[in-house]
Amino acid sequence: MLRIEVLFPELSNLYGELANMKYLKESLSDAEFIETSYTDEPLFLTENVDMVYLGTMTEDAQKLIIDKLMPHRDRIRERIEEGMNFLITGNALEIFGNEIIEEGKTVTEGLGLFDFVSERRARVRYNCLYVGDFDAEGVDTIRIVGYKSLFGFSRGSAFEKYPFARTCLGWGINKDVKEEGIHYKNFIATYTTGPLFILNPPFMKWYMSSLLGDSDSEPAFYDDAMKAYECRLEEYMAPGKGWEY
Amino acid sequence: MFRFYIALWMSKLSVIALKLTGHNGTDFPGTVALKICPDFLKYIAKPKHIIGITGTNGKTTVTNLLTDALAADGIRVLSNREGSNIRTGISTILMKGVTLFNRSRFDSAVLEIDERSAGLVFPYVRPELMLINNLTRDSIMRNAHPGFIARILTEEMPKETRLVINGDDLIACSVAPSNDRVYFGIDRMDTDTDRCINLINDMQVCPRCTSKLVFDTVRYHHIGKAHCPECGFSSPNCDYEGHDVNLMDMTMQIRDKDGSEESYRLINESVFNIYNIVAVTAVMREMGYSKERVSELLSNISIVKTRFNEQRIGDYTLSMQLSKDKNALAASRVFDYISSKSGRKEIILMMSCLGDTKHWSENTCWLYDCDFEFLADESFERIIVAGDRGLDYVLRLELAGVDKDRIRCTRNEKDIPKLLKLSPGTDVYFLYGTDSISLAESIASEIRCNMLAKSEVSEC
Repeated sequence: MLRIEVLFPELSNLYGELANMKYLKESLSDAEFIETSYTDEPLFLTENVDMVYLGTMTEDAQKLIIDKLMPHRDRIRERIEEGMNFLITGNALEIFGNEIIEEGKTVTEGLGLFDFVSERRARVRYNCLYVGDFDAEGVDTIRIVGYKSLFGFSRGSAFEKYPFARTCLGWGINKDVKEEGIHYKNFIATYTTGPLFILNPPFMKWYMSSLLGDSDSEPAFYDDAMKAYECRLEEYMAPGKGWEY
Repeated sequence: MFRFYIALWMSKLSVIALKLTGHNGTDFPGTVALKICPDFLKYIAKPKHIIGITGTNGKTTVTNLLTDALAADGIRVLSNREGSNIRTGISTILMKGVTLFNRSRFDSAVLEIDERSAGLVFPYVRPELMLINNLTRDSIMRNAHPGFIARILTEEMPKETRLVINGDDLIACSVAPSNDRVYFGIDRMDTDTDRCINLINDMQVCPRCTSKLVFDTVRYHHIGKAHCPECGFSSPNCDYEGHDVNLMDMTMQIRDKDGSEESYRLINESVFNIYNIVAVTAVMREMGYSKERVSELLSNISIVKTRFNEQRIGDYTLSMQLSKDKNALAASRVFDYISSKSGRKEIILMMSCLGDTKHWSENTCWLYDCDFEFLADESFERIIVAGDRGLDYVLRLELAGVDKDRIRCTRNEKDIPKLLKLSPGTDVYFLYGTDSISLAESIASEIRCNMLAKSEVSEC
């Protein structure tokens, strides 16, 4: 049985992101989902789990979670190096960088596990549609679709070295680059929301098969999910389509 | 000041121009004024008493109820009830409230103020009383999350403004802690639980010590009464508290801060609207009205029909409900309300944002914050999803546990009437977004005709 750990769902639950796990639960034939509360210690630090998930949260929650995970920074690094599966979506990505800066002032140090800095504005929202290409070993390029809805962007060498996707439409990890997110070993982090799994059945299928080792199952309601995916891709890539809000 | 007067006169002229050309822009005159004089709001004369209404849900309903109640008392009130609630809309209504020489023609104003616009409005428009009805999730693109909005309101709220806050909403309670305030709320209701069953619950951690909050009662989402077992933080005691809600005779009691009671008529049975009545009562009591007079003034007031309109047609009922688009919490409340109704139901979801379709594409993350699970109830014979995001709704409904056989999907909204099953005695609920009101009305006309035809009533 697969064991999947959902970190701090009472805090990392914005933008419908927990539905990534609901959809995965509906899709996997045999899996246990463990929801680790903010007041408990993460299971993946001491036990083997098949996947760790952390999604979008408030800015205050980012700080709380960084404080919570900071004492375990070296152990998290070990787990990433060992090839444990991490899926990190939305602004949860920022927790793993060097620091988070708001209006020019550092509001918190990050875990420093990847070399980048996140900068945000206090009241400005950056919204766009997103399409990018994800390349993984042994499979054709998978096109990722989704949204970005952020207070800012990130910059740093981590995105050049280990990009998750190459942007076709929308902003990369910041407005100046095409690289989006991090894909290092089995650690995947992306600003893209949607929820990612639900909007991207081909990516979900790859994830289930390649990273979770369940090649017998396919994403739940696959045909309908693919129809919505193909419709969205066609719409987004139509000439002249607005993508920035 | 010369620049200001040019702005004032030009914006007044623009109102005449709009009328002559048959347009109804509530933002345009304010936009003209602000373009000519960016400090227009600073110089425009304001009524002596300004009541501000803000919050995520219910602003317009509360503004309408309060304005109507004051009007019923014979008070001429300046109100943006039919207009925009952002800086340009507020500029428009204040301009309409002054003479050509900038003398205010009104003693009082009730202004619905968009919570995100606080930074642009509050420096110049300083309400005497400010109602914060609730702070919940809204548009992800614009409002991010309610903590962000609470922070803006806290940073911008004029220090002298007295707050009237929903005490059952701990996020609203966190706004501007140094401001003088009263709280309103509703005491335990039969439908309350001790555990949140909704997808959204944005108040799970104590804001003081970050321990886990314990909810003593949950009404919906983070609305209810909670306390922290570690540091003693808790929901406030309410100065105006609704109780003994009676949906049979549509009344409730409100307990005043002095312990006295008064009976009030409900405008409809949704909890949102019960809160709206308590909110208006609290504001009017703080304005100095007696509770008997408030009860009397509110007894003959109803809510505007674009928000809620139920009609009996032959063997059927058609209930039109505005559901603020991209607002997961508002839609969840409507789904909860409808699912609690007895009888055979069909529901139409025409909530895709038309404006977004035109300019880019709707961000649909909110569908997964929204409790579509309420629609998995078998009393819904058919669920019709329409519009550009129909396929997304189908997938969301399937994930919510809705049997696919009960779902019908069309991209073309005009096909909706054909997809209704209309078994005899069915209640049809038609949910539409804020930019689909006229489209919804034209589709509803055809549905009404079909209902009459099936009921063998000749007039259509």
